[in-house]
Amino acid sequence: MLLYYFRLAMLSIKKTPLLSFLMIATIAVGIAATMVTYTVNYMMSQDPVPGKSERLFTVHLSSWDPNMGYRIKDGKEDIPIFMTYQDATNLYADKKAHKQTIISFHKAMVRGAEQPSGQATMTYLRPTTHEFFSMLDVPFLYGSPWTEYDDSQGSMVVVLSKKKNEQLFQGQNSLGQEVIIGGSIYRVIGVLDDWLPLPRFYTENSDAYSEPRGLFFPFQSSINNDWFSGTDGSVYCWGGVDLIDLDAVKASECVWLFYWVELESAELRNEYLAYINSYAQEQRELGRFQREQMNRVMNVAEFIEYNEVVKKDGRIAVWLAAAFLIACLLNSMSLMMTKFHGKGAEVGLRRAVGASKVDIARQFFCETLIIGLSGGVIGLALAQLGLHITAQVYSYLHSELMDMNLSLMLLTIGLSVLSSALFGLYPIYRACQIQPSSQLKSL
Amino acid sequence: MLKMSNIAKIYLTDTVKTQALQPFNLDIKAGEFVAVVGPSGSGKTTFLNITGLLEDYSEGSYFLNDQDVTDLSDRQKSRLRNEQIGFIFQSFNLIPELNLFDNVEMPLRYRKFSAKERKNRVVDALTKVGLVNRQAHYPQQLSGGQQQRVAIARALAGSPSFLLADEPTGNLDSSMADGIMSLLKDINTAGTSILMVTHDLQQAAKADRIVEIRDGVLTENESINQVVA
Repeated sequence: MLLYYFRLAMLSIKKTPLLSFLMIATIAVGIAATMVTYTVNYMMSQDPVPGKSERLFTVHLSSWDPNMGYRIKDGKEDIPIFMTYQDATNLYADKKAHKQTIISFHKAMVRGAEQPSGQATMTYLRPTTHEFFSMLDVPFLYGSPWTEYDDSQGSMVVVLSKKKNEQLFQGQNSLGQEVIIGGSIYRVIGVLDDWLPLPRFYTENSDAYSEPRGLFFPFQSSINNDWFSGTDGSVYCWGGVDLIDLDAVKASECVWLFYWVELESAELRNEYLAYINSYAQEQRELGRFQREQMNRVMNVAEFIEYNEVVKKDGRIAVWLAAAFLIACLLNSMSLMMTKFHGKGAEVGLRRAVGASKVDIARQFFCETLIIGLSGGVIGLALAQLGLHITAQVYSYLHSELMDMNLSLMLLTIGLSVLSSALFGLYPIYRACQIQPSSQLKSL
Repeated sequence: MLKMSNIAKIYLTDTVKTQALQPFNLDIKAGEFVAVVGPSGSGKTTFLNITGLLEDYSEGSYFLNDQDVTDLSDRQKSRLRNEQIGFIFQSFNLIPELNLFDNVEMPLRYRKFSAKERKNRVVDALTKVGLVNRQAHYPQQLSGGQQQRVAIARALAGSPSFLLADEPTGNLDSSMADGIMSLLKDINTAGTSILMVTHDLQQAAKADRIVEIRDGVLTENESINQVVA
C-alpha cells in the first residue's frame, strides 16, 4: 500500500508541477540557508581533541598588579589567560600533572639549508615542549617529537608541519635535513601529517580558525637563542619592563605563555587546582600574587566558551537562519494547503469508495515526504554552493570550516524531510476533514 | 437489506435550524431497483449521502444488511462503504491522471486483496461494461457514456450489495443515457440492488419502485408507481 501512496504522490506532484516546484524550492532555499550557517557554526564548535578534551586544562594564575586589576569581563574582575615565564617554568619543573606543556610564539625568516637566503620566508613559529604533541594527539607523517632531554638542553631540533615540509622539501621525507630559522640551524626530527584542530583552542581566539604554525621546536631553544617578540602574540606587563631584554622579561610579571596540563582523569581537576592554589600561596608568601586569588583551571570546552572562540554572532546567525527556515516552511505549508484543498474532490471520491481518514492522511503524508526529500536534496546542493561561495569570501578562514561531513549531509536531508512532514501535518489534517459529500460533484 | 426508521436530518448553524429531511421510513429489499425523484433542492442529495454513509443523520436508525450503522467509527463506515456500497456519480468522478484500470482498481486498493485478485476483479468489471480492451486508456480519451461505464465498473469491482447512483444519466445525451440505464438494469437483474436518484421520470420509470422527496418529505409515490406499473 505504501508503494501505491508514493505512486499517487508522484502523480500528484506531476499534475501540479508549478505548485510542487514552488514548495520544493521554498523548502530547499530555507534548508540551504540554515545548513550553510549551521555547518560553519558546527565546524567551529567541534571538539578539537575528542576523547581527551575533558582531561586537558589550561591554568590561569592571579599574578597581576596588586594596585590595578587585569581587566573586567562580564562586570567582574578577570585574570590573565597567559602565564609569566617564572610561573610557567616553575609549574613545568614541578610536573604535578600527568603531562604539561608550555606554549609560546615567535616569528622569524625560515629557509631550507640548501635554499638560497633569498628564498627565506617570514614564518610563524611555535616554541613549546615535547609533551605538546602527545597531549594534543598530533599525528606524525615522519619521525617523532623531540625528547625531554631536548627540552632541557634546548636542542636545535624542529618538527615541520606537512605544508611547511612541502614548501621546504617538496613533501619528501626530510628527517635529518637542516632548516635555517632566524639564522640558526635546526635539524628536522619530525614531520606532521594533516593536522587541523578546529577550533585551534590552545592559544588566542584570533588564531582559532587559521592553520597551525608551520614549525615547532623546543621552548628552551628559543630562550637560548634569546628569541622574544611581542609582535605576533600577546604580551601583557605591569611594573615597567624593557621588552627588548629577554632576561628582564623572564624575571618580570609579564604574562605571555600558555600553560596546558593533561590529567589522568577529569575527576583530578580539584586536586590539581588545590596544587595551583598552594603554589600561588607560596608565591604570595614570597611577595608576589598580592591580589585576591582567583586561580583557575579550565578544560577545553570551558576555555573555548570563555575565550569566545565561537562568536555569539554565529549562534545568532544560526537562530536567524532557523527563523528563515520556519518562514519558508510556513510558506510551503500554505502552498500545501492550497494544493490539498485543490484535491478535495479526489479526497471526496476516495472517501466515498472506502478510504478512511487515515488512508487519506497516509497518502498525503507520502507526498509531503517526497516534497521534503526533494527539497532536502536540492537544498543540499544549494548549501554546497553556498559554502563554496562563503569559502571564497572568507578565504582567511580554513576551508575545512566550509566542508559538510557525511553526518551534516544526512542532517540536511533529514531536517528537510522531518520539517516538511511536521509542517505538512496541518494541511493533511485539513484535507482529512473534507466532507466527501460536499466534494463529489466537483471532480 | 436496507432499513431506515424515522431518519431525519437537521442542519444547525448559530442562528438557523434547517430541517433538510423530515423523519421517514424506508425499506429496500435485496435485488430491488428503487428510483428517488424530486425537484432540485428537495433533499435528494442529502438522502443519498445519508444512505451512502457519507453524512450523519440527526435522528432515527439505519440498518444496512442487519448492521446498525448509527455509532460506527469513521474507519468502520469507510469499510462498510467499501464492501457494501458502489457509488455512481452524475459527473463520473474518474481521476484524470489514472488510467481506466487504476480508476476501477481504486476501491479495491482499500481492501486487503492480492494484486492478482485485484486484477481479476478489474478485468471482470471492465468486461461487464464492455471496456476491457481500453483499460490502459485515460478517462479523457473516452466519451461521456464510456466514462460512466468505467464509473459503473469501479462501483461493481468490489461486488457491493447495492449501487447508489446519483443522476447517472444527468450528463449524457439520450442515447447514451439509455445505454447506461440498460446496463444498470442488467446489473440489477444479475442480483445487485440499485438506489438511483434522478429527476428524469422517464428513467425513473425503469425502476421497480419510485420514492419521491419533496421539501424534505420522503413518500412512496403511489400514483407514479401506478403509472410505472
